[in-house]
Amino acid sequence: MQDLADRDYFTDHSILLDPYAYFEALRAKGPIYRLPGRDIFVVTGFEESLEVLNNNADFSSSVSTGGAAAPLPFTPEGDDLTGQIEAHREQFLGGELLVARDDRPHSNSRALLSRLFTPSRLKANEEYMTSLAGKLVSDAVAKGRCDLIKDIAVPFATLVIADLLGVPPNDRDHFMEVIAAGVPPGSLDEEERSDQNQPLVVMAGFFVNYLMERKQAPRDDVLTELASASFPDGTTPDIAELVRLSTFLFGAGQDTTAKLLGNAMRFIIEQPGLQDQLRSDTSLLPAFIEEVLRLEGSTKMTSRLVRKSTKVGGMDIPVGTKVMVALAAANRDPRRYENPRDFVIGRPKIKEHLAFGRGAHVCIGAPLARVEIRIVLEKFLQKTSNIDLDETVHGPRGARKLAYEPSFIIRGLEELQLKLTPRQ
Amino acid sequence: MPQIFVTTAKGETHVLDAESGITAMMAIRNAGLEGMLALCGGVCSCATCHVHVDPSSAAMLGEMSEDENDLLDGSIRRNGQSRLACQILLTGKLEGLRLTIADED
Repeated sequence: MQDLADRDYFTDHSILLDPYAYFEALRAKGPIYRLPGRDIFVVTGFEESLEVLNNNADFSSSVSTGGAAAPLPFTPEGDDLTGQIEAHREQFLGGELLVARDDRPHSNSRALLSRLFTPSRLKANEEYMTSLAGKLVSDAVAKGRCDLIKDIAVPFATLVIADLLGVPPNDRDHFMEVIAAGVPPGSLDEEERSDQNQPLVVMAGFFVNYLMERKQAPRDDVLTELASASFPDGTTPDIAELVRLSTFLFGAGQDTTAKLLGNAMRFIIEQPGLQDQLRSDTSLLPAFIEEVLRLEGSTKMTSRLVRKSTKVGGMDIPVGTKVMVALAAANRDPRRYENPRDFVIGRPKIKEHLAFGRGAHVCIGAPLARVEIRIVLEKFLQKTSNIDLDETVHGPRGARKLAYEPSFIIRGLEELQLKLTPRQ
Repeated sequence: MPQIFVTTAKGETHVLDAESGITAMMAIRNAGLEGMLALCGGVCSCATCHVHVDPSSAAMLGEMSEDENDLLDGSIRRNGQSRLACQILLTGKLEGLRLTIADED
């Protein structure tokens, strides 16, 4: 029987059901561990993860879309790979997406998007989010059932971003179809992985038109703001970059949010007493959501390329190697969290967890994700007296059958069939 | 290339040769200074890049936005010199800017 720690995280489907056991097997080897015979270091320690995430000088994000196991598009030479990385950027899978950018191009582009996620902007979108959530949940409650992922989470997350970006209502259905047909990021199957950006390509066509229209004839909307914005250093983005940023928001904020909702709902159903507790006091939802993020955030890991030799936790990390920061493992580091596997609402400093990453690349959509999840869960709790899993699909309590998406990045259920009892 | 002066919550003053076109938060983070959590990564969505601006530097900065004001209101460390470092864009005009990193909430 193969030692758990020797399984290949990037291709092994059997780890999917319980990646946390795999991470604990690695943690036993140390907070940073070089996979035997490979050029990949896995970080499971909280402090060590922070060291990596806060160090952009030595760690490039160019490999974050393709993952730490993907071969580099060049042979590393010398003691600073920055020049080679930039020369080959287009050859990294998703190398031009915001998540993979480094240095000034990263901070410039991120600054453009940041205006979309301020508290006042989110407040302005809250009315739309609340009414959409209300409708989706009411429809489900009327039927007494739904597939949370397909019927609620994915449409909701997609339409919220579409609304945030100002996509015309007439085009939103098409966006939904395109995304539904796509594969999740970080697929364990190599063939699928090369197709993972296909929906983004289709959406790009739409965004080129929207942005060009608004450059010609500005309106009072977000897309016009994007089309006319300058970078903080005074330079202006080209249309290609604006298109990439717009489509990236779908890539980044749709599957992750939808899967987080599924993970949160599973806790609500399975954790004894929790559902009634939250139903009677929805002000607990924000703290509840943070503990879900810690224990079962929808992003398990992120990757970095070592562009300059460095040290982490006292260990030498040579130039040209890759680092997999196991966020899901860092969030269960017993040196940082007491009884790390226990579900506890109200842990101190809970928002310092790493579910959204940390540092320059910390998830820009985190405030939006938090609001989205809270709003949908509020509606479910308000409109039902009980939520349970459909046992004919997922089996009985204590012997559940759940299928997790085959992705090394995403932690998420492929479906979650709910049985809903309406509130009288 | 504005030279700015940043004092940590512990009282150590560091001189930073900061780049133009990045925020004070990024300059502080790039320098590896302690005590700037910057949890939201500089997008004006939290108050963990809270700094106190030295009165001598106050005139260098523009008005704060409503978002920045609301976020600072949530901090027990707020005083008359409070700003969010992620909202301070560094340019040549901010040469000599003096900031102190606020204690954590």
